[in-house]
Amino acid sequence: MTTIRPFTCEDMLYFNNVNLDPLTETYGLGFYTQYLAHWPEYFQVAESPSGEIMGYIMGKAEGHGENWHGHVTALTVSPDYRRLGLAATLMNLLEEVSEKKKAYFVDLFVRVSNKVAINMYKNLGYIVYRTVLEYYSGDPDEDAYDMRKACSRDVNKKSVIPLSHPVRPEDVD
Amino acid sequence: MAVRPQHMHDGGIVERRLRPIYDWLDNGVNKKALQEAEKVLKKSPTLQAARALKALALLRLGKKCEAQAVLEALAEEKPSDDTTLQAMTISYRESQQLQKVCEAYEAAVRAEPSSEELHSHLFMAYVRVGDHRAQHRAALQLYRIAPKNPYYFWAVMSIVLQAKSTEDVSKKSILLALAQRMVDNFIMENKMEAEQEARLYMMILELQEKWEDLLAFVEGPVYAQLVPGSMLQASIPYLRRLGRWRRLNLVCKDLLWENQDRWDYYMPYFDSVFELMKGAECDESEGSADDTAEKCHEFICSLVESVSAGRALRGPYLARLELWRRLAAHEAGGEAAALLGSARALCVQYLRVFAAKPCAVADLRPYLAIIPQQEREDHCRDFLTCLDFDENSEPDNAADIQRHVSCLCAWRLCAPPPDAADSLALADALRAHYLRCVGAAPAPTPPAPTDASPADAYATLAAHHYCYAAVQRHEAGPLVQALGVLELCARRSPAQPHAKLLLLALYHMLGAGSAADAAFARLEAKHVQLASLGWLHAARLPAAAPALAAARLADVHTFYQHHAKDSVEQLTYAYKYGTFEKLVELGAWRARLEACAWAALAARERALLQPPAPPAGPPIPPALPDALTDNRDLSVIVSWEPAQRRDAELRARTFERDVAYLRLKDALVRALALCAEAAAAHDNTHLLRQLDVCVDAFDAAMERCRREYRTPEEDLSVSAPLPSRIFALVQSPASYGALYTRLLRVARAACERGEGEGGAGAVGRAAAALSAALRAARPALAHLAPASLWHTRDALEQLSNVLEFAGVMTYVMGVCREVVTPTNSRKASKKKASVSPERAATGPALGEAGGEAAALLGEVRARLEAWPAAWAAPHLASGVEDRLAGEYRCPVAGQLERSYREALRHARDTLDDKIKYLKSMQ
Repeated sequence: MTTIRPFTCEDMLYFNNVNLDPLTETYGLGFYTQYLAHWPEYFQVAESPSGEIMGYIMGKAEGHGENWHGHVTALTVSPDYRRLGLAATLMNLLEEVSEKKKAYFVDLFVRVSNKVAINMYKNLGYIVYRTVLEYYSGDPDEDAYDMRKACSRDVNKKSVIPLSHPVRPEDVD
Repeated sequence: MAVRPQHMHDGGIVERRLRPIYDWLDNGVNKKALQEAEKVLKKSPTLQAARALKALALLRLGKKCEAQAVLEALAEEKPSDDTTLQAMTISYRESQQLQKVCEAYEAAVRAEPSSEELHSHLFMAYVRVGDHRAQHRAALQLYRIAPKNPYYFWAVMSIVLQAKSTEDVSKKSILLALAQRMVDNFIMENKMEAEQEARLYMMILELQEKWEDLLAFVEGPVYAQLVPGSMLQASIPYLRRLGRWRRLNLVCKDLLWENQDRWDYYMPYFDSVFELMKGAECDESEGSADDTAEKCHEFICSLVESVSAGRALRGPYLARLELWRRLAAHEAGGEAAALLGSARALCVQYLRVFAAKPCAVADLRPYLAIIPQQEREDHCRDFLTCLDFDENSEPDNAADIQRHVSCLCAWRLCAPPPDAADSLALADALRAHYLRCVGAAPAPTPPAPTDASPADAYATLAAHHYCYAAVQRHEAGPLVQALGVLELCARRSPAQPHAKLLLLALYHMLGAGSAADAAFARLEAKHVQLASLGWLHAARLPAAAPALAAARLADVHTFYQHHAKDSVEQLTYAYKYGTFEKLVELGAWRARLEACAWAALAARERALLQPPAPPAGPPIPPALPDALTDNRDLSVIVSWEPAQRRDAELRARTFERDVAYLRLKDALVRALALCAEAAAAHDNTHLLRQLDVCVDAFDAAMERCRREYRTPEEDLSVSAPLPSRIFALVQSPASYGALYTRLLRVARAACERGEGEGGAGAVGRAAAALSAALRAARPALAHLAPASLWHTRDALEQLSNVLEFAGVMTYVMGVCREVVTPTNSRKASKKKASVSPERAATGPALGEAGGEAAALLGEVRARLEAWPAAWAAPHLASGVEDRLAGEYRCPVAGQLERSYREALRHARDTLDDKIKYLKSMQ
């Protein structure tokens, strides 16, 4: 039981219970406000009845021609509100927005080690489109899967034919 | 910030020549950029773009005056080429002269009145300075040149912002009517293009409270075309405003059939039911609205049943509790029970169904309060036993452990507050559960690196109960036990933040700053979290670990400073992307962070921690905003106290103390800055007057706070802020009010330019008064040693006040010494000093006060030896101790000892340093 509403600046003061999870990155303030100013419809929060932030999604629309697509920049759910289907609800929302914007597909990056998330995306219809080598910096650097799901505009599902070889981060547009 | 403009116009030689300058600037190699610019200017000395880039390089090299000279000369020439103007814009922005950007572009559009690009930059320049009228003009001009929708709506938005910022009611309504008419015209001409244009129109109607028009618009064709598929949801707030309860009821029911879990549909649904129950209105008679509690209950039950078997959704279940709560508040408590059964039974049922979810108790918590307190306490064990568990159950799989934990938590929230012995016994039992789970092989909760383990809640709940016992007994022992189990949990489950947060809070409760800092580092909090979590850590550090405070406070400062510079650009983005609804929000957010009380305190603490060496002074702090904002996230640590212990006033009360403390610190920093300026200025009459006002206000505020803030009303709680440091400052046995005021009056007298009666004599008298105050304070300040581990935080806070005074004292004495014998004349010792004999005679008086201060600090220094006696930490329970020592080598006692040792070493070093300096004055 959830309230879905647009993310607002003030939510940044109260998203600690979500963002203190080590795999959730806290970006510089300008990063969030830039998304809010540019793609507000892609930045939504799931709130509990008592007003706690349970999770949020931030994304954007980008690309040209048949590469025009929705992108999931961050999707996170507080450890206390997992396994309730919240991530699926938020992903649905982002896909709907992408459909409205007539995108060809939706894509996202995920750490290859994050088995729980990869499985969830697969269950939502995403496929591993390609591997991006050493996309996440760290010690050691970690590869990412670039996962995709086609939108209805991509009638022939051209956007989700997996690449056979991995790519370097600098080759990702 | 990248300097290079997106489009270069000439494309040819000039661009090629400028390219290396841009490269150096973008890479932060400003010296090379300057050299490169000079090189270009040798060949073409009048090239404006190169001169603008030279100014930027100079500015970034810290050569403000030279940069300014180049910019002024350029501005005189009224350049109109965009490359030059953009480089100038960056310089003006970085030197905070945003008005000059407007002037530069105003001149440019006069030279090229038909340039869309220049007009658009002029518009953005007005946005940065918040000149909404000028924005409006510029946007209309743009629309005349290039009739595009965004420009038109920039103009509309600028009118809306003018309306929002005026207090004049009739002006506001005229402006809003104008904005509405502008959009109405566009709608009539079928020119609307984007969702955000529709939203801006709705904003205008909302500001005029035209709810009928809003509803009509949302239900009309333009909205359907621009924002497809969201009509029903969008109509909810307006149906509510208009009191169309029957329609609202039907709309929400439709939406709920599609989404049984959406709480934002349940709430207006309930609102409508309860209004209809009052017989509020009978408008349209379409469909059958739920206008009785029975029908409402029936609807919720049908939602429960509609969900496919095996997948219970929390929404409808929780909706029943909400119905109970509302019926009870509606003077129909009897009806609630008759319809739904007892509140207790409903709550227990909720737990029974959802206990396997980690959020079950969080969901339930707000509704436990609908059970009468006596009944709740009498039957608290119903929650524990509803799934056949009790406190001794030993579940062996992850799902059952989660259920057990949920039952335990709900039980604790309902149980009467336990006494210390019961808390301890329960805490020991919970710790044993935790140790059993982490010790079992194979682990009953397979640790997924990205997930928390349900057994962690045993550890955190145990920590809370150890803490209750510690607070009741004023004993550190139970806290040490809590820290032990939390250290283990934080290392076992790095993915969950609760154990780390509790470690942080409990180490601070014991005043162990370094250990707390290590826990904070493990949280990896950064950026905006430094604002919302400052209360939890950095705000305590100046007392608990002054050696670490400077770095943490510097991080806070960097965050706010960066935001102040960056946030105005976000407003220009919002125009660029046409997100008008976010413009207002971004503006308010910017104002909120600018008025942040914690940001202001952090800056002042920083200035007091490390006063500069005289004759330099801290900059005079900007005046505090009238309405300071509270940006603390106080809910980050979950509380397990029973409902009746919830303190509704906690936020307001603790914030008020924070602000009072901030005002004291602000006055101190202001006084120091004024002293330094008065000492340096030739004509300082005005500054001295300001200093008098400041010192008098400080004195009065200290006295007022001493009367007002006697002792914190509330007990310590692990989830609430620790008592404000204002208590230690104003209730100290030695009066800091007297010490600081007298000290500052010495400086004031020393800075007085008039000789004779107003000069040396006054210094002597002020110094004598200071000496007397120091003598009086000595016995009180010498006895600071903690009586036991539990009292260490208090003792360290008191000690930090001494250290802070020592820092201010040496700084002010340094300023006085500069006035009496400036450094230059001291260095040129053989030459004749340029100071009058009268003034030089003040030296001994100052020296005596310095000696008195040195004696006081010396005594505090000597008594530090007695402190470690209080710190024999109790041993941890063997299960925890073994594991910690074996696996992680971080026994809690060692952490505490290290923290205290570091704090004492810092205190000794600081005191030695200050004493040496003060003695040198004699």
